[in-house]
Amino acid sequence: MVGTVSAGTPRVVIADDDPDIRALISIAVRRAGLELLAEAEDGDRAHIALQEHHPDLAILDVSMPGMTGLELCRLIRADDAFAGMHIVLLSAAVDDQARAAGIEAGADEFFAKPFSPREFGAWLSQLTIRED
Amino acid sequence: MRRSIFSLIRRLSVDTPSPALKQLPTFVAFAIALLLAVLLPSVVITLPVAVFRGSVIMILATLLSLYFARLRRVTRWSLLVPGFSLLAIALLRNGTGGTTSLFSVLIILPVVWIAAEKGRRWVVVAIIGTSAAIMFPYFANWDLPANAGEWIRGVFTPFVYGVAAAIINELSRQARHQLASIQRLAREREVRLKETLSLAEQLQENQQRLHAADRFTRSVLDAVTEQSVIGTDLRGLIDVWNPGAAMMLGLPASETQGKRHIFEFHSGDELENRSRELNYPPGATVLNPGFSALVESARLGIAEVRDWTYVRSDGSSVSVAVAVTPRVDEEDVTVGYIFVATDVTQALEVARLKDEFVGLISHELRTPLSSILGYLELMRDDNEAPLSEEQLQYLSVAERNAHRLLRLVGDLLFTAQVASGKFPLDISQIALNDVVAGAVESARPAGSAAGVELILYVPEESIAVRGDALRLGQACDNLISNAIKFTPQGGTVTVSLESTDVDAIITVRDTGMGIPESELDQLYARFFRASTATRNAVPGVGLGLTITKAIVIAHGGQLDVESEEGVGTAFSLSLPLPRRP
Repeated sequence: MVGTVSAGTPRVVIADDDPDIRALISIAVRRAGLELLAEAEDGDRAHIALQEHHPDLAILDVSMPGMTGLELCRLIRADDAFAGMHIVLLSAAVDDQARAAGIEAGADEFFAKPFSPREFGAWLSQLTIRED
Repeated sequence: MRRSIFSLIRRLSVDTPSPALKQLPTFVAFAIALLLAVLLPSVVITLPVAVFRGSVIMILATLLSLYFARLRRVTRWSLLVPGFSLLAIALLRNGTGGTTSLFSVLIILPVVWIAAEKGRRWVVVAIIGTSAAIMFPYFANWDLPANAGEWIRGVFTPFVYGVAAAIINELSRQARHQLASIQRLAREREVRLKETLSLAEQLQENQQRLHAADRFTRSVLDAVTEQSVIGTDLRGLIDVWNPGAAMMLGLPASETQGKRHIFEFHSGDELENRSRELNYPPGATVLNPGFSALVESARLGIAEVRDWTYVRSDGSSVSVAVAVTPRVDEEDVTVGYIFVATDVTQALEVARLKDEFVGLISHELRTPLSSILGYLELMRDDNEAPLSEEQLQYLSVAERNAHRLLRLVGDLLFTAQVASGKFPLDISQIALNDVVAGAVESARPAGSAAGVELILYVPEESIAVRGDALRLGQACDNLISNAIKFTPQGGTVTVSLESTDVDAIITVRDTGMGIPESELDQLYARFFRASTATRNAVPGVGLGLTITKAIVIAHGGQLDVESEEGVGTAFSLSLPLPRRP
């Protein structure tokens, strides 16, 4: 189970300190037909949720209380227990440096806020198809 | 004895220029002789008339000497005095027994005077004078010496006197010469003394000035407590350590001067990194390689302020900006270095806080906007409960304004980045034709909504520059949207691209309300709005041109404006073309 993508629906854990954004992401995830396992409101709780659920995809906000999305991303990439997990970073920072920092930390994709739920959902659906 | 004779001669002939004093001995001797002639019965006055005439002439001669004495300057005419004296003595002699007179010896006195006069010819004059005085009794009686003995007396005596006169002349010449030398030496000595004195004065003055300068330097060094001023020799050994350095690094001067090296107070890692950057191979120089790296700019004569980290004796560190300059001696040879360091901990902290604040604001503003825009989109896309046409229209208004707010936040963040000198540019080779055309295309909806015609002139051949396509597009967008905003319905906005040998020029020309000339130079100030803009209620906050200008400057380009109120405005944005190979 660990490190492998299940044959079924990709399972997702999301982390963002803003409840409205969290809700927006969860709607997009559900509309894309993915399975939402857990939501976390800060980096540390997100880490616990990830250890608990071992999802196929982690959607992480960069700026969070406690551990930031970037730190969590590095932690996941350094931990063999999470091998093969997909990571999407969301950030309100706009410049290319923020994107570069995200990719460098090991993220598969980087979305700048504000993001369009439609486009985000399309990307998630594509992920589903690819994983299938 | 000899000395007294010399001094007498000197006094009478050389030292004393007063003819009256020279005449005095002759006069006194004459007077005594006269007294003797009158008082002593053994002295017979044979010719009282001659004696009387002689006395009168002697008095006249003495009066004449007094006259010459009163003259300020020395004149040869004063020799008339001994001349007359000789005549007076000759008459006295003639009157007291003629050739047998006892007073022949008086002749010597005026003769000495004459003979001592400067010049050999006066010896001859003295001899002739003597001879004339001795032979006078014969001349007075229209007679000639009767026998050889008398001839000899008339010639031999003057000859002896002449020899004496010659000796006197020579002696006085020597005396005069010696005196002149002594006087010259004395004058020279005086001049030297004066020179020496003035030199000594100058020296003292210079010394005082030097002391003053030294005191000034010391007090400046002592007064500088916010900066550390450290002086070293060529190898980095510290010899100047001001109170600022003591305060910053926590050690008194007594513990560093002559004992510690400057590089001991630097972060070792930093010095090592810098040495590596400058390609100092380890151990290749006699100097500590870190020190070489430290003084690199000063050694090359480049004025440079570089950020370093000082390490205090207790191990704590302080961020400093250090200016290194060479110390030179009087021949301009470098003998050491001076390190002036300013504590920048606070400045760095302020800059960090500012960056943090900008980031925070940006994040805090963008997060709610993300929610607004996201949920608006969800509403629009809700297929289960589709919105009415009217509701969709309301929704687009909300979306448009949310986007406007988002742009504003982006602009604010960008201006803050420009102000703090952090300005990320993604440079690549780009075709300006596409950038300009893209900007015009995206402005078309706004143009038609405002009833302004948009005209585009782009050359067929591609004009390529090195730049950030996104930022340059933003600059064009700003200029074009400004032009549309400031142009009334029915006007035109013309966007053209052309190139010269060195520049690519984008011009955005409108037929709008124009900008008053007095406001043209404030145009690029943050939050500045032209009076025509506020008067005509054109929306905006005054960041567009600031950002545009910053983008253009960052590309090494230039932004110019021409405007006439009521006629229109033209902005031209020029960018340097890459040099042709």
